[in-house]
Amino acid sequence: MSSHAIAKPQGWEGGTSPLATSHGKLFMWFFLISDALTFSGLLVALGFFRHKFHDVWPVSTDVFTHFPFTHAHLPLVYVGWMTFDLILSSVTMVLAVEAGHRKDNNAVLLWMGLTIIGGAIFVGSQVWEWAIFINGSHDGAMRWQFIDGQWIEKVFYGANLHYNEYSVTPHYADFFFCVTGFHGFHVFSGVVINIITFIMAYRGVFQKRGHYEWIEKVGLYWHFVDLVWVFVFTFFYLL
Amino acid sequence: MEFNDGFPNYEVIAQHDNEAGVGVRKRLMNVFWLLLVITLIELTVGWFWHDIKESMHLSQTWLIIVFIFFTVVKAGYIVMAFMHLGDENKWMRWMILGPYALFIVYLIYMVTVTEGAYSLGFRDLLNPVTKVAHSEHAEHHE
Repeated sequence: MSSHAIAKPQGWEGGTSPLATSHGKLFMWFFLISDALTFSGLLVALGFFRHKFHDVWPVSTDVFTHFPFTHAHLPLVYVGWMTFDLILSSVTMVLAVEAGHRKDNNAVLLWMGLTIIGGAIFVGSQVWEWAIFINGSHDGAMRWQFIDGQWIEKVFYGANLHYNEYSVTPHYADFFFCVTGFHGFHVFSGVVINIITFIMAYRGVFQKRGHYEWIEKVGLYWHFVDLVWVFVFTFFYLL
Repeated sequence: MEFNDGFPNYEVIAQHDNEAGVGVRKRLMNVFWLLLVITLIELTVGWFWHDIKESMHLSQTWLIIVFIFFTVVKAGYIVMAFMHLGDENKWMRWMILGPYALFIVYLIYMVTVTEGAYSLGFRDLLNPVTKVAHSEHAEHHE
């Protein structure tokens, strides 16, 4: 066997990683794939229920019409602002990653700080939107409600998991709470991780390590949150 | 004892100097402006959809196709540029996107074709409120 010398090595010879990436980043990607599958499940279920209840499913330009500090009728403007805010915080995050590649600790602190502010604004915006959605309008809508053991038709204001004034089907509010809530919790945990990263950068942890790969991994999670919002924005609000 | 398996440090390979950083930042800002413009187009179309639909005699399917197209373009730019998957090894890209795409295509196929086909009948089962409303409605008419 030893007489058969291989002139040119074919394929992977060992000694290097075949994927040319570190373990940390690879496993962050694995986590993100599983998380993406969870969100895909939610959004496909949303599509299924929208299709089944297409005749009673409300148009979001009729539901999300409010904007803070004004009583004007501005459909989807606030959601547009939330999207803009999240894209902006995404670009500051990627600039923090780029600053990490240059080992510029001050630039990392600046961009991480702006990312945290953008994320906090998004979480606050979602809290405001939930409050408006749950409290509802002054008019309300007539809904069949199960009260004291029998079904009664009376006015219902706002939304909970059983009834909502926007649609006769409870699934509309259920999916609103489930999809945006699950995404909002991701944003919240992302902000917490970003704050931890900011403190680590402030204390010079990455300078001691000699590389800023941690920022890259945190950035992957943060961009994933933005990525999910792109889909939620389309499938819940726009369509 | 320091752990050293002789593998290259990929986190160090990813570093670049200040001069290279200028070009990288410019590319990232271009992606940002593109995402912003697409979002504004989406919002405008969503806002005026009722007028566009009536004046041009379009069906709702067109809106769905256009929005899904924009969404996939945005997602592609976020994954490839912001998440740096475009800069990764070719096999790394395939390993991330391949299995995910397989699962999603199967999930959509299963829900739309297999499971979605026979479920028209159990709409009332899914929704106790409309069931009561319908039966009360029927009683009033009798």
